[in-house]
Amino acid sequence: MAQFALPNNSKIKKGDSYNVAKGDAKNKKMFKVYRWNPEKKDEDGKVKNPSIDEYTIDLDSCGPMVLDALIHIKNDVDSTLTFRRSCREGICGSCAMNIDGTNTLACLKPIDEVKGDVKITPLPHMPVVKDLVPDQNHAIAQYNSIEPWMKTDSPAPARERLQSAEDADQLNGHDGHGPAACILCFCCSTSCPSYWWNGDRFLGPATLMQAYRWISDTRDEATGERLDQVEDGFKLYRCHTIMNCTNTCPKGLNPAKSIAEIKKLLAVRK
Amino acid sequence: MKLKWKDSRFDSQLGRAKGLGATGHGVDHWIHQRITAVANLPLMIWLVWSVVHHVAGASYEEFVAWQAQPLNAILMILSVVSVFYHAALGTQVIAEDYIHNEGLKFFKLIGIKLFFSATAIACVFSILKISFVG
Repeated sequence: MAQFALPNNSKIKKGDSYNVAKGDAKNKKMFKVYRWNPEKKDEDGKVKNPSIDEYTIDLDSCGPMVLDALIHIKNDVDSTLTFRRSCREGICGSCAMNIDGTNTLACLKPIDEVKGDVKITPLPHMPVVKDLVPDQNHAIAQYNSIEPWMKTDSPAPARERLQSAEDADQLNGHDGHGPAACILCFCCSTSCPSYWWNGDRFLGPATLMQAYRWISDTRDEATGERLDQVEDGFKLYRCHTIMNCTNTCPKGLNPAKSIAEIKKLLAVRK
Repeated sequence: MKLKWKDSRFDSQLGRAKGLGATGHGVDHWIHQRITAVANLPLMIWLVWSVVHHVAGASYEEFVAWQAQPLNAILMILSVVSVFYHAALGTQVIAEDYIHNEGLKFFKLIGIKLFFSATAIACVFSILKISFVG
């Protein structure tokens, strides 16, 4: 049944405080960061509860984005802070985390957009590996389950399979914000209450948008098979149009619309 | 019933994600929920209007006479069927969303269907009895 409080071993305690901003620093900001390390144990050998560590830094000593601050903290304050990052320009999807209450990419989130202290926690409702690193295995396996590659029965042509510019717009969007622009950061799936409650079976907005990316691809010949794959009360219809996915997408994409298009196609097919 | 990936240390992530596959159902539920929602709109406006203008303050005999008129009886039956069907579909969604014990969910889903079928039939029977017997 529903669980209304965190289990005892997940309750968040107050953690360490670091203040590395010099007294005369003009641009101080506090970052409150979720910390949990499965190797940190108490005297009884039990894994210690997660905590919120506080880092007060001088913003003049780092770049403008939240990721810049995290890298500054890891480099110069506390090297044990663990998070994923790679491209630092919003194309790899590694640094997805919850910043100031919204899932987003740390590299695309300007620090000055956050009023007051910057609260950072991992993506919600995924098992935590360490600190800000969530275990995304299940979400990625769900993405694999929709077979995200082109499927064709007709023999391969001598050159690439052609598509008109209008057909390509179905995937890319005329403004570049179509389903193919998704970088699979899973900000949307982990913002979706339906995915929180039923993520074991509901595919989630990220995977469903990719399902639609292939369903709407004019070169793909497995549209019916793909619709069969998602026609299910849980895999697709757990989406109740809550729209958190579209609100949170750091790339400005619209997963809710893709899901609605799948539902429309299923209704039309009926 | 034990799902093969539950409690297994060596589960396949893809096997777990695919689960028991797609049922091929859901689209009917989705369409019916929307059709009944749209149907409920005029029916509920009619019902509220009727209660205000004909039912409120009416005596027993006056109400029976009003309810026995064919148009009123038909609209009342349509309201009952549409509202109860919509309620059954909606509560099914709530149960599926929030009940995570498979056994409890199974009986709850059957119970919902039985409850709303029974109450809808009781209402329709009552309306017909008033219409034909008085």
